[in-house]
Order: sequence, then C-alpha cells, then structure tokens
Amino acid sequence: MTGERLVLTVNGTSHTMDDVPGAERLLDTIRWRLGLKGTKEGCRSGECGACTVLVDGASTLSCLTLSHEVDGSSLTTIEGMANDPVGRTVQEAFARAGALQCGYCTPGFVLALVGLLRERGSGASSDELLADLGGNLCRCTGYLAIARAVALLQKEEA
Amino acid sequence: MTPFALVTPSSVDAAIAELRTGAPGEVVLLAGGTDLAFDLERPGPGPRRVVSLRRLPWRTLDWNGAVLTVGSTLPLRSLERDPEVGRRHPGLLEAIRAVGGVPLRHRATLGGNLGRAAPASDLLPMLLALDAEVDLVGPTGARSLSVDRFLIGSRRTALAEGELIRSVRFPEPRPSTYLWQRVRPANDISQVAVAAALSPTDGRWRLAVGGVPPRAIRLPDAEAALRSTTPSETEVRDAAERTAGHLPAATDQRASGEYRRHLASVLVERAVRSVLDARAGAEGR
Repeated sequence: MTGERLVLTVNGTSHTMDDVPGAERLLDTIRWRLGLKGTKEGCRSGECGACTVLVDGASTLSCLTLSHEVDGSSLTTIEGMANDPVGRTVQEAFARAGALQCGYCTPGFVLALVGLLRERGSGASSDELLADLGGNLCRCTGYLAIARAVALLQKEEA
Repeated sequence: MTPFALVTPSSVDAAIAELRTGAPGEVVLLAGGTDLAFDLERPGPGPRRVVSLRRLPWRTLDWNGAVLTVGSTLPLRSLERDPEVGRRHPGLLEAIRAVGGVPLRHRATLGGNLGRAAPASDLLPMLLALDAEVDLVGPTGARSLSVDRFLIGSRRTALAEGELIRSVRFPEPRPSTYLWQRVRPANDISQVAVAAALSPTDGRWRLAVGGVPPRAIRLPDAEAALRSTTPSETEVRDAAERTAGHLPAATDQRASGEYRRHLASVLVERAVRSVLDARAGAEGR
C-alpha cells in the first residue's frame, strides 16, 4: 500500500519522505528510512525503553508511535546528542560512571534522561529522576552504575 | 497484520463520519496509540482503517470551581505535571504514575485508556473511586455516563456506533490514594490495585479494585463497613475482610485468585489508613 508524505526535522535537519505507509512505526522510519541505527529496537511492545527518542523535546517510545502521528515534529535521536550540551553532559556522566556494558539500552537511557532534565530543570532529586527512568530496562549493569551517573549529574548541577 | 489506512480528520463531525465507514473492528480510533499499537502488529486480521484523533481540540485541562474536566486526548504526562491535579486529586496522580513509564505517558491518554477498556488498566479503579463521568459525542448528539456504566467488560464499553469520548469529568476533589502490587514498578501491569477516596460532600468512602479481570469494580460491601469519615480500627479491618470475601478474582498468568483476594484485602486496609493519615496531616498543618 502506498502512503502519504511525511516531514520530520531530525537532529536539526529537515527530511521529506514520500509514500510512507500509515502503519509505519517511528522506530522503523528512524532506523531504516533515515539510516540512524543508534535508536535500538528492544521489545517492540513498550516495555523496555530502548527505542526512546525525543519528539518536540518529550521522551517517546518510537516503537509504539506511528510515524504520521508525529508528522511535522522535531525529532532528536542519540546521533543528535553529540551537539547537545545536556546530551554531552549526560553521555560523559555515563562514561565516567561506567554506566553501560553491552550498550544496547544506553541510547534510550540517555534520551529519557535528557528529556527529564529538560522537562524538570534542576529541581529533581536523584531518586525522582531514577523513579522516572523506571521505564528503561538494562540487563547488564544492575542499575547501580546508572544510579551513579545520575548522581554525578546532580553534583554538576549543584 | 493487515495493512491499514491512517486517516486524520480535523473536525469532530468528520471523525464521527469516519467511524461510520465500516463495522467496529474494521475502523478503530487512535488516541495516544500506546495500547492499540501492540494490537496493530498482531498476526491475523486487523482494522482496515485507523482514525487518528490528534487534530481534534481535546488536549485540554479545565477547572470549573471544584470540577476538573480532562480532554480525552490530553497526554497523561500533562495531567501528571499539573500541580493542581496532584494537590486536589492525590490518588489520581498516583494512578497516572502507575501507567507505563514517562516516555509512554507522553503519548498515552485518559480517553484511550477508557476506550480500550484494558482489563488491568491502572486508571479505571481510580476513576471509579472518584465518580468520574465520561462525556461522549456521537451522531445523535452528546451524552454522559458514569465510568461504572461506561465499562462493560474486558475490552468492552458502552460506546455506541460512531461515538467518541470527548472528555472525562471529576466532580469534586477527594482525599484519595492508589496502591498497587506488581512485579516491576514501571511498564508493568498491576496484579491487584486498590483505589480509595473519601467524598467531602456525602462523607462516604469509595473503594475500587483493579487488576482483576474482566474489569475494575467498586467494592460496595467493603464501603458499607466504613460507617463514618473517621472509621474505627474494627471497621477498617471489617472492610478488608469483606474485600477478601467478596472479590471475584480470577487466576491468570499474573496471579492466582487466592493471592489477588489476599492482596486486595491488605491494600484496602492500607489505602483507607493512608487516606486517613494524609487527611490528619493536612488538618495538622
């Protein structure tokens, strides 16, 4: 089935895509149409958070989102985090705390955390941030190192 | 999965007209899509037309005196982030925070949760305890139903052909709480959840339980045990025992019926005490 035109601004660059089927997921548009493989497919059912991206600044599960539902939006993926001051700080905190092993869940964690920091400013405590990261699964670290990365961020903001 | 057409009407009338282009099941509504998306990729026959509500002007939150009206397509995260909602409906805030994780709540909606009527929804017990009303609009006009009448069973509602959920109304702020038991705090479904609220106008308690297929239910027997706004220890324990005695809790892959009845009883006792403690704390300030 042919689809309609889809326009997305991805990491600051506008993309116009034709014939995008109505059933296409944002996750698949990002990975297969745009070739940005940093966004990971985990469970494809909204349970793991690996596919988290920012849609107009709000963290979003790209596996549960039809691409046309966010037509005209501004999208940020892990590839856009290198040029983002908050994104760089979060990634450096993850590196310093050793908050990853296999790395598969890391893009989702970074985007979810950047979304929270933007949404809540510096007012949130580490415990609140960790509770709000509850939708992201990590099967390697046991979360202790991720908690340390969040604590490092709090220290930098203080 | 069958391929489907995604249509995005820009008016309520156009959305109602879209719904009448096919039988229920052939044409489905899409609000946040976080529950529907899962079904859309299931093997086997699916809808041939998906009607997105994103262009309708229903992402609203209004206070009219004590009455809170929430537009059906407002993301749950917006409701959660409103400071007045948490202050005046503490149990509703707790129930919202039990749904998925933050990225899911950026898209999931109250209207979608009601319309999809998932048997283990974490919002429906709280809506029952708050006596929420569902405002519908359809080919023959508008009408309102209590959540209790709106919910028929698992994945079944009183929505008539061509009808849409426009908003959900909460008639009054109530001291309230929402307690749940599940395997994982986020992105999981409660094995059992209990909503408790105390109406300041009629002085009566509302208790509801969720996570018990086929649908969330009120607990009238347990409510009747709580004979005042400040029930005695004996009354609270009686409410908990009546919960265990009357709950029609099925056994499924998430929990046994016996475990559910035990949990519901424990959570009812804790929920009532929690509302009483919060009220005592508020009065002490």
